[in-house]
This record gives sequence, structure tokens and C-alpha cells, in this order.
Amino acid sequence: MNAGRGQMKLGAFLWATGHHIAAWRHPQAHVTAGIDIDHYIQLARTAEAAKFDMIFCEDAAGVREANVNIASQTSRSIGFEPISLLAALAVQTELIGLVSTASTSYNEPYGLARTFLSLDHLSGGRAGWNLVTSASQIEAANFGSTGLRPHADRYERAREFAAVVAGLWRGQGGYEDRSFSVRDPLDLPRSPQGAPVMVQAGASDEGRDLAARTADVVFTAAQTFEEAKAFYDDLKGRLAAHGRKPDDIKIMPGVAPVVAASEAEARAKHDELQELIPDDVGVALLSSYLSISDLSRYPIDGPLPQLPASEGMQSRQALVIEQSRRDNLSIRQLARHFAGARGHWRVVGTPAQIADELEARFEGGAADGFNVMPSYFPGELDAFATLVVPELQRRGLFRTDYEGSTLRDHLGLKRPA
Amino acid sequence: MANGATMCLAVSLSPEAAPSDPPDAGLDFSQLTRFVQEAEAAGLDMVLLGDSAPVAGGLNRQMRFEATTLVAALATVTSRIGLVAAASTVAHQPYNLARRFASLDIISHGRAGWNASMMPDPREAANFSRPEGFSGDDFRLRAEEFIGIVQGLWKGWDADALLFDKFGGRFFDPEKMHLLDHKGEYFSVRGPLNVARSPQDTPVLVMSGLSEPAMAIAARTADVVLLDEPSIEPAKAGDLKRRALAFGRRPEALKVLMNVTVSAAITAAPDLFADRLEECFRSKACDGFNIAMPFTSALDDFIGLVLPELRRRGLVQSGYSAATLRAHLGLAGEDRQ
Repeated sequence: MNAGRGQMKLGAFLWATGHHIAAWRHPQAHVTAGIDIDHYIQLARTAEAAKFDMIFCEDAAGVREANVNIASQTSRSIGFEPISLLAALAVQTELIGLVSTASTSYNEPYGLARTFLSLDHLSGGRAGWNLVTSASQIEAANFGSTGLRPHADRYERAREFAAVVAGLWRGQGGYEDRSFSVRDPLDLPRSPQGAPVMVQAGASDEGRDLAARTADVVFTAAQTFEEAKAFYDDLKGRLAAHGRKPDDIKIMPGVAPVVAASEAEARAKHDELQELIPDDVGVALLSSYLSISDLSRYPIDGPLPQLPASEGMQSRQALVIEQSRRDNLSIRQLARHFAGARGHWRVVGTPAQIADELEARFEGGAADGFNVMPSYFPGELDAFATLVVPELQRRGLFRTDYEGSTLRDHLGLKRPA
Repeated sequence: MANGATMCLAVSLSPEAAPSDPPDAGLDFSQLTRFVQEAEAAGLDMVLLGDSAPVAGGLNRQMRFEATTLVAALATVTSRIGLVAAASTVAHQPYNLARRFASLDIISHGRAGWNASMMPDPREAANFSRPEGFSGDDFRLRAEEFIGIVQGLWKGWDADALLFDKFGGRFFDPEKMHLLDHKGEYFSVRGPLNVARSPQDTPVLVMSGLSEPAMAIAARTADVVLLDEPSIEPAKAGDLKRRALAFGRRPEALKVLMNVTVSAAITAAPDLFADRLEECFRSKACDGFNIAMPFTSALDDFIGLVLPELRRRGLVQSGYSAATLRAHLGLAGEDRQ
């Protein structure tokens, strides 16, 4: 048994055919995932059998890629809308938490609070909301003609939005502020877990400040131990100012594992996926993460050009630029690297090697747990569940059974008053 | 296949129609599952699930679930019956609503429908950052544009757009994905939807709460129209069908259902209740009925006493002959281009 920081939390991040951009082309990937509910029910049951804290779904209210020729070479333009997906999974599982992303830019707090509370009732207290402010122009074009709001405005709205939702979940009504007005309390009974869990993913300064005020869980991207540790310490350090304790928030960076019985097999598996990425797809994906319309006009084997500050994902952009400088990568190399894990921490190796890496970040105080991003489904979720989870359990780093019945129970979070 | 000789039958729960405080307020999921599975076992076409926004001045029904999430869950415990959720044009953005229902339709394998009410609820506007509410015309015109966007988004992907060609690296055919590029008075929506085409072409559009000006919208766009009993007369249904024809639709492509509330009286005289439905149906006042149940046990009475009588008279099909809601209603292959 470990004598250190207790046990880590694990999320199973379900996305399309897999987190690797070329996942859908893998011979063992379930290519019709986006239209097959039974596939998702099976994934949810796999994650539940492995005692994951939660299933996590990200979301965008639009297709992912504006260039239709690029988009048509990936599987991410179609899929289930996550709230309906999780509502279906809620009654096909018993204990695992169900977290979906939803945007504060393209919803109203009353409707969002009510929908997640309904999901919470359907699941017996296992729902969570991952707050995002939405940074893509593609989404903005589906909601009016004014275009994307500036970063600071989005966060101003998000702060108000989160406060209204938290109040509604506590049974309050009667709000009138800059962005929203809500007259009545919700017309549904109180949540079985006090309130659905609040998750947040933005890592900019405004994002961290909002997380420190309202989030129960923070999902983040960090490549190195030092980045992860710096983020962790910064965010936990901001809690006191809001009257909160370090343990009130669980920080769960993403991890993109590629696991096999031997290291050589794991590397071969990873190389096989990387080979399936077309160059134009990789470069386009990198461009969209950097909020640059066209990186393809720069030499693919040359370095990343100087980039202007973006209104999109500021923290993500900084991460990409830092990595390209650190590792002296060409656009092609960076594109492949990012297309694979989307800027998240990738670990390739045996179950013991992956457990070592996770343990080091967890025991080193750089994470409370991890959001696991399998490269393709169902194979790589199965591999993590059957190879890595037992290794973590053997080391006492992960639960062998659920401690309670709600998502708050699993995460060790207080029930709100 | 319904061909005019058999009636469409929907059931719904309407606790607000109960004489006193509804005994079923706060039904849990297993009770609702039993209700829907019972309707499915009886071969009924669809269940209409209301959303619990309280009726102005009425009792708060304290339903525990929002209707679209409830339909997603019910879809996994049923296999044939249609599932229709009410969702407000005030509470949602058209892109989000189109997407939710497209997703429900894939989860249910083509059994989902959207019930769009054309009746503004001032209480709702006050909770959705519109304390000033809507003028009647404004609400209707906005709803009309909203519905057009939703139906357009539902057709953004051709049925054969997805190729799943791993070896060739072609997931979909770019020629078969269509932008909506809608720019209107109230909304601007580029599209496309990020959900695949419906297994039943598009989710079924049910419209209710129709004022006279809203009838034209229904005639042009709706698959099913719900009319209240007092307003029903043969002329109304005929008028709707004539208007549909004027919009280039086949009259069979629009089904008119009459809302009928089951009362305690059916246990005393199920024949008389069946007579009433038969007379209404044969006079072409409607294509079928939405039988509203004040409490779940009323379904037992309807299925046990009235349905066998309707079957004996050859007015209702026994069992399902197809897989999708559109097919149950005799709408498959009708005028959707």
C-alpha cells in the first residue's frame, strides 16, 4: 500500500473513434462509433467495471474543421450530442460518474442547470458539468452573426453563468445581472448528490480564477512534470482567497497512454497510428489549435513562424509554442506530435512503465488523478482497464471498489449546503 | 402500414388533468419505464413526453426529468415505440435543439420526435433572460424561423454521406455534407449539424398549441398536428390538409391527432369511448388520437378495455410492422424531399 497521498482519481475520456486523429483508420477501431449507441454502452460498462470515477465527454456545437476536405479525412464531424448520450448511459450503468462539457456562450443558465439536474436524477447523483466558454469560430457561426466574443468577455459571461447555475442547483432563483435574468427556482427536485459536480477546463489566468471560485474538478493539459506541478500549485494556491481548501478541488490532467505488454510493442502500436495521419490533416489540426487559419503556407519541414496573440485558446497556444521551441520541432513533426495526443501528455510503454509515470506525477503533487484519453476505441480503453488499472490497484494507488454511489462520493467532494 | 383505414395512437401523461393533486407527481424512472413499455407492448405508435415547465398559475407538477434527457434514457429500455419530447423554442437555440433531437433519433434507431408548442409561456421567457417576454407575433415568427432552421439542419448530411473507408482515408463524402447558411430575422446559423443523418430521414415534427395564424406554419412544416378536442371539427382537419396540399405536400403527409383525456368513465363504458373515437375518426375529423392519461394506471384501462374494442372494429393495427416512428405513423416516404 502507498503511504502517501491516498488514491488517484481516473476519468475515462470518451471521444469519437479515439483521441488519436487517425484512430478511425486503425484496423481495430470501431469506425461507426458516432452512430452506434451500443458501442458507447459497452465502453461505459468497461470503464465502470474498472472502477473509473467518471466518463468524460467533451463537446463543440459545430463541426471541428472548417475545411471540408480535411474534415472528411477524420471521424470528428459527426457523433452523439453528449447530454443525450450520457442520459442514455445513465440508465445502462449503475455507479460511474457522467460528465459532459457544455458551453456558457451558447446556452442559458436556467436551461443548462435544469438539463444537468435531470441527468443527475436519471443517474442517481452521478452527473457533472464541464464548463467551457467555446473558442471556435465554427461554433460562433452557428449562433448568430456577431462572431466569437473576445476572451475576457467570454469569461465575464462564464463567471456570471456559473454563479447562476450554482444558485439554481441550491434551489435559489431570482437573478438579474449583466448577461442573464432568471426569475424562478428550478422546477425539479434537489440533486441526489446535493448538486451536480462542476468541472472546468480552461487554463488561462481567467480560467484558473474561475476554477478557483467554482470548480470541483479541473481538467488540464500538461506535457511535463514541471508544467503540471506549476499549474497544480498555482491553482491550489488560489483557493484560499475564495475561502476554499486545497482538497476542495481535484486536478486531473489528461494523459494519452499507449500500452502493451512490452515497450517495443507499445512503440510499434504508437508508430502504426502515427503512420496513418495524412500530412494535410496534421497541419490543419495544428493550425486550428493555434487559431491560425493557414499554417500550410509555411514550409512543412521548417520551424513554426512567429504567431500573433489569439482570441481563442490562449493557454493551449502557449503550450504548443513552448514545445516547438523546447524540442526544436518542424511544422511536420509538431503537427504529427499534436495530432496524436492534441497537446496532452502521451505515455508509451508497459503497464508498469505507465503506472510509474502516473505514480510519479500523483505522488509528486502534480495531479490528483488523470483523465485517460485512449488513442482508439474500444481496444485502448480495454488495454488501460485490464493492464494499467490492476497495476495501479496492486500499488494501492487506485480503488478496487466504489466507496459510494454518487460522483461526489467517488471524488471525495463535499456535498454542497 | 397505416393507409387511412387505421388510426394513429399516441399516449401522454398529463398529471395537470388529474382532478386533485396528481398521485404520480415525481414519478421515478422505473415507473415511467413501466408506463412506456406497457404502451409498447400494446403496439401504440408513440408516447408524448411533456416538459415540466409549469403552466402559468397551475400547480408545479414536480416531474423529476427534463423531457429530452428522459427520452434518451427511455430509448435504451424500449425498441419499437416512438418517443416524442416537448422542447421550447425559447429555452433552446435552434442549433442545440436540432442536435439534441438528431442525437436522440440515432440513440433510438429512428423513433424520436420533437413536440414544438406554438403557445408562448411568459414564465419561461422570464427564466431565459427575456423578462420583457414576446409579443404574440414575435413569438410565432421567431418559432417559424426556428423550426425551419431545425428541419434544414436535420438534412445537412445525405443518408449515404458516411463512407467509413479506413483504407482510402475517406470518412465521409464532402459532396454529401451541406451547409445551411441561414441568415434570417432572428437567427443566423451556418451549419452543418455535427450529428449524422436520421435513420428515419428526419425526426418527426409534432406541433401543438396552434393559434389560427400558426395553422399555416403547421400545414407547411409539421408531420403531426395535435388539436384540442373542443376545437375539433371535420372542417379543421380538412382545412389543414388543404393547406398542406397548397404547399405542395400530400395530405397524407400531415397527420392530425386529437387530444382526448381519459376519464374515470371509460371503465364504466369502454364501448361508448370507442364509439366516440370511431365516429370522430370515420368523419375524417382526425387521423388518430393523443390519449392523455391523468395518472399512469389509466393506461391499463385504455389498453385493457378500449384498445381491444378498437381492434375488433378494425380501427387499429395490432403490433408494429416497421421500425421507425415515421413508418408507424404512415409518414415514411411521404413528401420529405
